[in-house]
Amino acid sequence: MMVAAIAEKVETLRWLAADPVATAETGRTPHRVVFRDHKACVRYFAPAVATRPPLFCVMPLINTWTVFDLAPGRSVVEALTAAGVPVYVLDWGRAGPEDADTPMAHYVDTVLGRCLDRAVRHAGVEKIDVLGYCVGGTFLAVHLARAGAGTEGSRCPVRRAFFLATPIDFHQSGRLARWARPESFPLDAIVDGFGNFPKELMQDSFRWLRPTGVAAKYKSVLDRGGDPEFRRLWAALERWNGDGVDFPGATYREYVRQCYFDNALVGGGWIMDGTPVTLAQATVPATTVAASDDHIVPTAAAHALRGVWGGPVTTRVLGGGHVGVCAGAKLPAAIVEWLDA
Amino acid sequence: MATATQPDIGKLGDELYKHWEKAMGSWWDQVLESPQFLGAMGKNLEHAAKARGQYERSVDDTMERMHLPTRSDVVRVAKIAAMLEERLLQQEDLVLGLKDQVVAMQKEAVQARIEAAEARIELRETLAALRQELGRLHVPAPTASAPTAATAPSATAAERAPRGKKAGA
Repeated sequence: MMVAAIAEKVETLRWLAADPVATAETGRTPHRVVFRDHKACVRYFAPAVATRPPLFCVMPLINTWTVFDLAPGRSVVEALTAAGVPVYVLDWGRAGPEDADTPMAHYVDTVLGRCLDRAVRHAGVEKIDVLGYCVGGTFLAVHLARAGAGTEGSRCPVRRAFFLATPIDFHQSGRLARWARPESFPLDAIVDGFGNFPKELMQDSFRWLRPTGVAAKYKSVLDRGGDPEFRRLWAALERWNGDGVDFPGATYREYVRQCYFDNALVGGGWIMDGTPVTLAQATVPATTVAASDDHIVPTAAAHALRGVWGGPVTTRVLGGGHVGVCAGAKLPAAIVEWLDA
Repeated sequence: MATATQPDIGKLGDELYKHWEKAMGSWWDQVLESPQFLGAMGKNLEHAAKARGQYERSVDDTMERMHLPTRSDVVRVAKIAAMLEERLLQQEDLVLGLKDQVVAMQKEAVQARIEAAEARIELRETLAALRQELGRLHVPAPTASAPTAATAPSATAAERAPRGKKAGA
């Protein structure tokens, strides 16, 4: 028995040595791009038969959209389309040095608004349900607030919002919040020097949030590496993790200053492009979902939406970590349940 | 698979790992949140960012001296392309907005035509009802031998009576 276990671990080590991450493929669910705005695009995942209302998903600006399509059988978009949901995914693309001066208002108001508009036109509906994940959720919340979603006279075509692992009270964001303080984090020097906030720095900072995380990762693969399904998911997650995106400089400056330094989504005082950002201005019903083992966006940081949102807010906790929540079957089931409500 | 003489190595390994993780985790927690570490890390980041900025400026200077396009030149061209694309998208927004307005106007026009047609139908129905009433009230011209001659003038008088006034009012 013990010999068999050792042989399995040796085989897993051989598999690791063959660099499975390099050949792992993410984002394989069939889809097409229905709109492009500079580097951003709207990806449309069509169900065989649409039996549920369409869903527009806003992905984080700092990673690729493929976290929602990690591997066959472990894909949010695949599960949703199988449940008859037409899915639109906003992929922000990869920022380059020419995007370093692009202000946050351009992404939040113009690009997000335009992509939402085109998705609504493509779907042929008057209003659509929206989902935002992580920073994408924060951007979505700010957009909906600035567009006055749900208020009379607003032209924002949104019916309901679903926020997944979305930070709202940034001072509750654990270690990340304690690191990102004006006295110890030289925000201006970083943006002035690097232009965009480099993905390598971003990945390193996430890695150092849990210093023993790397060891835990390899222990888990040694413990469960005999399972081909686990291997496939592990390699896909590693691939996605290593495929970061630079954060556009000017946007990063405003995001960190307002959200981490000033915690302005809770405390107020954020003036974006001449207009205040007040989440209470959005009155559409919202659901905010936190992941139980999330060390990047703890439950308190996500559920703080309830205190500042203008409409009714439902809170929920799903099992998993910040990224792991996207790899399980619970998330698509929760989204479908929300769509059916 | 522990026996009386042989311990379960797998379990032992797990226990060791848990202890190691806990110890390392608490040690790193102290280090990563200490003001000294954060201050040093901040300074390090600041210097790295400044060095990167200076490096890029010096590369740009070198390229410029060799009369070659610099990174800044490429960025400038890319920005112009992005700006043009943005203008095109703004035009697309306008066209779509106009299309929406035309559709709304067409809807309004169709609605107005429907309402006009409904009004005409209503008018026609009213006219038909009036004709019917008129037909009922119509009495053939009186003749000398007709026995109803005495009643005819009174009916005509009723017809001539001002509208809204009751007989005898």
